[in-house]
Amino acid sequence: MTTPLVEMRNMSISFGGVRAVDDVSVDLHPGEVVGLLGHNGAGKSTLIKMLSGAYAPDAGEIYIDGERATITNPREARSYNVETIYQTLALADNLDAAANLFLGRELTTPLGLVDDDAMEAETRKIMGRLNPNFQKFSAPVSALSGGQRQSVAIARAVYFNARILIMDEPTAALGPQETQMVAELIQQLKSEGIGIFLIDHDVHQVLNLCDRASVMKNGKLVGTVNTKDVTDDDLLSMIILGKSPEAKAQANA
Amino acid sequence: MTIKSFVAAGAMSLMATTAIFAQDITVGVSWSNFQEERWQTDEAAMVAALESAGAGYLSADAQSSASRQLSDVESLIAQGVDALIILAQDAAAIGPAVQLAADEGIPVVAYDRLIEDDRAFYLTFDNVEVGRMQAREVFAAQPEGNYVMIMGSPTDPNADFLRGGQDEILADAVASGAITIVGEAYTDGWLPANAQRNMEQILTAVDNEVDAVVASNDGTAGGVVAALAAQGMDGIPVSGQDGDHAALNRVALGTQTVSVWKDARDLGAAAAEIAVALAGGSAMGDIDGAQEWTSPGGTTMTAMFLEPVPITADNLTTVVDAGWIEQDALCQGVTDGPAPCN
Amino acid sequence: MSDTTNLSPPAAETSFIKKLGLDTRLLGMVAAFIVLCLLFNLITDGRFLTPRNIFNLTIQTVSVAIMACGMVFVIVNRHIDLSVGALLATCSAVMAMTQTVILPEMLGFGLNHPATWIITILVGIVTGALIGAFQGWLVGYLGIPAFIVTLGGFLVWRNVAWFLTNGATIGPLDGTFLIFGGTNGTLGASLSWAVGIVLAVAAVAAMWAGRRAKLRHGFEVKPVWAEGWMSGLAAAAILGFIAILNAYQIPTRRLERMFEAQGEVMPEGFTQAYGLPISVFILIAVAIVMTLIARRTRLGRYIFATGGNPDAAELSGINTRLLTVKIFAIMGILCAISAVVASARLANHTNDIGTLDELRVIAAAVIGGTALAGGAGTIYGAILGALIMQSLQSGMAMVGMPTPYQNIVVGVVLVLAVLIDTIYRKRLGAR
Repeated sequence: MTTPLVEMRNMSISFGGVRAVDDVSVDLHPGEVVGLLGHNGAGKSTLIKMLSGAYAPDAGEIYIDGERATITNPREARSYNVETIYQTLALADNLDAAANLFLGRELTTPLGLVDDDAMEAETRKIMGRLNPNFQKFSAPVSALSGGQRQSVAIARAVYFNARILIMDEPTAALGPQETQMVAELIQQLKSEGIGIFLIDHDVHQVLNLCDRASVMKNGKLVGTVNTKDVTDDDLLSMIILGKSPEAKAQANA
Repeated sequence: MTIKSFVAAGAMSLMATTAIFAQDITVGVSWSNFQEERWQTDEAAMVAALESAGAGYLSADAQSSASRQLSDVESLIAQGVDALIILAQDAAAIGPAVQLAADEGIPVVAYDRLIEDDRAFYLTFDNVEVGRMQAREVFAAQPEGNYVMIMGSPTDPNADFLRGGQDEILADAVASGAITIVGEAYTDGWLPANAQRNMEQILTAVDNEVDAVVASNDGTAGGVVAALAAQGMDGIPVSGQDGDHAALNRVALGTQTVSVWKDARDLGAAAAEIAVALAGGSAMGDIDGAQEWTSPGGTTMTAMFLEPVPITADNLTTVVDAGWIEQDALCQGVTDGPAPCN
Repeated sequence: MSDTTNLSPPAAETSFIKKLGLDTRLLGMVAAFIVLCLLFNLITDGRFLTPRNIFNLTIQTVSVAIMACGMVFVIVNRHIDLSVGALLATCSAVMAMTQTVILPEMLGFGLNHPATWIITILVGIVTGALIGAFQGWLVGYLGIPAFIVTLGGFLVWRNVAWFLTNGATIGPLDGTFLIFGGTNGTLGASLSWAVGIVLAVAAVAAMWAGRRAKLRHGFEVKPVWAEGWMSGLAAAAILGFIAILNAYQIPTRRLERMFEAQGEVMPEGFTQAYGLPISVFILIAVAIVMTLIARRTRLGRYIFATGGNPDAAELSGINTRLLTVKIFAIMGILCAISAVVASARLANHTNDIGTLDELRVIAAAVIGGTALAGGAGTIYGAILGALIMQSLQSGMAMVGMPTPYQNIVVGVVLVLAVLIDTIYRKRLGAR
């Protein structure tokens, strides 16, 4: 068995007395897509924000490549090549695509000044690869469509050589065609050996895109299954009833 | 020479010398805070005097800001005024404005408030004389006994001018022992409420053994009279100044002895005449009534001091005749009082 | 000033202009300003647009305009600073005491020592930076809303200034210090031309360097004729401004006294121009530096990103708390610089210095297109906003409009400006 890319062990966090995540363990291997399923408030996003550095856990340990990792803020997460595409997209609406792509990691001239032209050139390159139709390089991202914004967010993760990619409902705001585009992109990233956590409501989509799926309810892990062993109904019952189908539960061995 | 006749004479003599220039003379006036009611009276008198001299009037209101006033003066100069009348918000910070005017050869009249600069012509009422008049009237009514001095704001130099004048009159009587000063207090911000509180404390301290009060203005006099009334002592001599309507009413009622009245219209008219004369080329020293005067800051300047009028029960008709106050307001609640309230 | 260099003909509206945020909005503001000036000029029989009045207007605008540059950062970052007028007063009081009491008496420098002015200004700037940083720390790290922190600051610093000086007017200030006030310190004709030429060359060079960089990356650029037209306009605007200031002659009496001071007699018919006031030069320098920070540094990029989406900025690894401290420190430094100009102009520190400036500064930034919702605003817009406010006030006073009407008009203009801005942004679909 290979060393997992990421292991989150016994993670717990509380907000004002509410246990948002309670003793949850998940893992992720290179080139693997793991879906995180659950109702709103089940704790999926909170769990993953402890990996991306947005929240500091109350308890639990994170291992990356088998090594203990300390992640207390987004910058430290980035140093482990953890990149996140948030549900809210986390774009500064008033800035253009290049400024958003490089936000927090701007390219600079030898004088230390921000080099907008160089960043735009790099943005054009990567967008040419991910979304060749993208042309609005000088408009603020508030003027872009949902798919265009999503491609900016994905480009940001890809550009900085993410090894661990967290996608929080990446297709929630998208039309069918744009959703298909994101699906293809996920396959492409997977083939490059990137590990992906995919948070989603859509059971069908998880079955299509993911290798394994972890289901959460009320802050607790219901179970992790191999997607090829389960049906839509199995997953739905895990989400709704919070019960692991006995025969298929030990899939994460 | 009374003020009225002085102004008239001054105006006549100015007319003669400035008639040829007056057509193209414009006087700029920079007010420090025009929203204060009293300056409206001054302005009306100024405008009337300028009109009769054939000069134009421009004005600006600094709204109590020293920096804004500097901008105002720059703007007035840019509009080509020939003389400036400045009611300074700040005696020192107005300096650069006076400098600018001097550079352009524009004369400046420091109106009512001192400007510490020898290039400005200082025009105001004689505040030391106001103090003398207050003490004089109270002393005439009560030549012996226990006196209380209620002074003005400790931050206002005028408060000390007033006290200086009062002391001049009372000094001999104090020395001879006819008068004993049993209490004195500054009044923070000239506020009547503070004057009242101070007076109450003094009355308590001396067991109401007070025969007369020299208060420095009508506002503080109001506070003093209220404190006296609470002890049933209203009616003893109390002084004041400004010709406040309430104070004149007290004079008619007999609860205040004197209100020294500085007729703003005389000041406004005199400033206009002086400004026109200076713009016409007169030297500051040649203005009728001008004198050399050394400011408390040590600046030797040319100044003119108008004499105020003490208003007592004997001459209340003056203020009514001058249109300063309606007879109804003056005589409110007065029965069988002094003229014109009888 | 270099604001107008960004004027562009509609025909040349390319992505370059959009990228710089140079849109119809700025053109509209410049047009409104020009109409305003022409209107006042008409009513005042040509007195409003004389070199002398333009000279006056620029030096009157400086103090508010410098602080408005900092307010842009504060508002863009979704904060507000109500304490700038009071902070200016405290800085001014500290500097007044430094140059009239502490240095000459306590440290025995004597009056008008050649080092006094620089020490004074450094002390003032450090004071401003520390107070600003402290307020920023309260906002950023302790999470108290900026409105409350600076409302408290508004009361505290105004009265700290009072306490420091016992409410007295402090003056006269150091002789060298006074050159920062405007009329008492101008560059004279030849030096002004030199500054103008340097600025014009720099502006044109920056434009062409930008174009070269774009070409190197293979981006679309506007046609050469348009670039040339823009360069010409920029140079003309800068040099035109200098020419106007140089056209204002020092009054003859002042010149005579200057000669007398040197024991000479003024030659018949001698004239000399004021030229560019040092205070205006400082404003130009502040505007350039602040624009560079906004556009070309990470700090500026983070300020705008945080204003656009604070969560996104934080998730991108930006330390938004420290950023808040930096922004308020910059605001404090600019208040100190403003205090130098304001107190030197009055030749004294007065207890009421900077009163109501917070409102003028915020109004200037808002009229200049800074969105209170955060994320949008420009330095040149804020300066133009300050200039419009001052022109409006000055012009109305010159026309002889009664005080209450003046303030009513300024208030209405402020609200109208924001209304137009809101409608404009809605149509643009930006926000």
